[in-house]
Amino acid sequence: MKGDDDMKIEIKDLTVDYTEKNSRFTALENVSFGVNEGEFVSIVGSSGCGKSTLLSVLEGIYKAASGTVNIDGKPVSGTGTNRGVVFQHYSLFPWMTTRANIAFGIRQVRHDLSRRQRLELADEYLKKVGLEGYGNKYPSQLSGGMQQRAAIARALAMDTDILLMDEPFSALDPKNRKDLQDLLLKLWEGEEKNGRKKTVVFVTHDIDEAILLSDRIVVMSHHPGTVAEVLSVPFDRDHRRTDSRDERSYRSFRDKIMNVFWAQVYNGIGGQEVVI
Amino acid sequence: MTAKERYLRPVHLLFVVLLVIVAVPGKNTDEYALWLVGTAAVIEAVTLAASALFKKKQSLQLFTDIVGFLYVFLSLWTLATVKTGLLKRTLFPPFGTIIHQFYEDRAKIIVNIGASLSIIAQGFFLALIVAIPLGLVIASNARAGNAASYITKFFSSIPPIVYIPYGIALLPTLHSCSVMVVFLASFWPVFAATMSGVMGVDKKILDSARVLSLSRLSMLFEIYLPAALPQIFLGVNQGLSVSFILLTSAEMIGAQDGMGYYVKNYSDFGDYTRTIVGLLVIGFVVIAVTFAVGKVQKALLKWK
Repeated sequence: MKGDDDMKIEIKDLTVDYTEKNSRFTALENVSFGVNEGEFVSIVGSSGCGKSTLLSVLEGIYKAASGTVNIDGKPVSGTGTNRGVVFQHYSLFPWMTTRANIAFGIRQVRHDLSRRQRLELADEYLKKVGLEGYGNKYPSQLSGGMQQRAAIARALAMDTDILLMDEPFSALDPKNRKDLQDLLLKLWEGEEKNGRKKTVVFVTHDIDEAILLSDRIVVMSHHPGTVAEVLSVPFDRDHRRTDSRDERSYRSFRDKIMNVFWAQVYNGIGGQEVVI
Repeated sequence: MTAKERYLRPVHLLFVVLLVIVAVPGKNTDEYALWLVGTAAVIEAVTLAASALFKKKQSLQLFTDIVGFLYVFLSLWTLATVKTGLLKRTLFPPFGTIIHQFYEDRAKIIVNIGASLSIIAQGFFLALIVAIPLGLVIASNARAGNAASYITKFFSSIPPIVYIPYGIALLPTLHSCSVMVVFLASFWPVFAATMSGVMGVDKKILDSARVLSLSRLSMLFEIYLPAALPQIFLGVNQGLSVSFILLTSAEMIGAQDGMGYYVKNYSDFGDYTRTIVGLLVIGFVVIAVTFAVGKVQKALLKWK
């Protein structure tokens, strides 16, 4: 592990509450972990564990009730153009063509470019994600996989240090999901900023996806949501797919994460008998 | 489509039937029967052109079916008026006479349409310019939007025509009073629709916009406005149809021009040929305006 000065994102004792129908819930409690610069970190957990809320805090949409969230050593105080975000749905605005969507994102960070230059840059990124020739299509005319490609293109075109991804592939079919995972890795490894890779925080409920993509995995538990464990993925990136991995050690690492899951489910129901 | 599908249609038979009905001698005569025949011939020519040009079979079928209804209507009208004398001539003039009267009055009609449309345009655009930005600003704040939608419910429930007496007292000219009535008729539906559109924007879209750190102005006009546009058009269409109803009513009360005035004025003199001409022209004008707005809507919402 690198030193503290490499720490890109630092979360300490983060607690988030929200009010719904006059009752207060604690979505996150005492969450602490850090993400190094250039690191790919996944957050996994069952639905309702607050992993998306955690990402919303990083996006700047949600406010912390207590604790600190620092990016580059400075506390997060709202949204910012140093973070690119890809959501599961509606990352793109339906009334803009894909090219216009990407150019719109670029406009927010590059005031020096003319409209024409922004559109050209947008086309460049469309090409990178394999959507050459689809620039004039509206999101509703694209498949779910293509929409997510375009959303990734926008986030990358904005050239932010940090990429925040909230279950971006969860709504896709297995073939598309695999293609997009490969594309994301290829782009992340190819796209460098100031000689360093982008820092990625990737939320998913798919453990295999987390293992495939990440340097480290943050496993969350729920009620209230907190970090159960942080694990480094012990495999080389080229040896994580079914056709290239050592199945035994992969299994045992995967089981380790599953055990954290089950342990907290068991704790969550207080050891009482349940019928599933 | 084959040539058979294009040109062999029942509508042409109905055209021939109409000609035959016009040709056979009847109880009365229509001195302008040739005007009816001429109009029918023009319609038939347009139908044949459409048969040659239309790409989709369904659209052509729909078009010829509508023309077919028109021929049947003209045939029945001719039978009931000229041929059998079932309907009184003063109240139900022969159709050729109606068409001829329309031609004779064309200059007057254009002036009156112009007068009506200019009031509609002024009141309506004024309403759009005020209602849409105001709705955007107010409804982008959830709390203000909630309260405002109740107030809107109250004001939109007042039929704008009851403002007319107050408008006459308040405003210097009848013209400005008519503009005000159209303004009120369009303002509330458009304002209400804008607010409901803004408040109904998907939260996921708003989150996507927020993470881009947009300015407030950009948020209003580049996110809320396009996202609410489908709703806004519902209000626009509603406002427009109420505007026409109210404007023609207002014109019948006291105006010196406009299509409502044309109809009222001639029916007062018992000239029912011109009254019918006025009714039909109003129908065509409303259809044309609705069609134009529909085109604008389609162009602006092509992303849907």
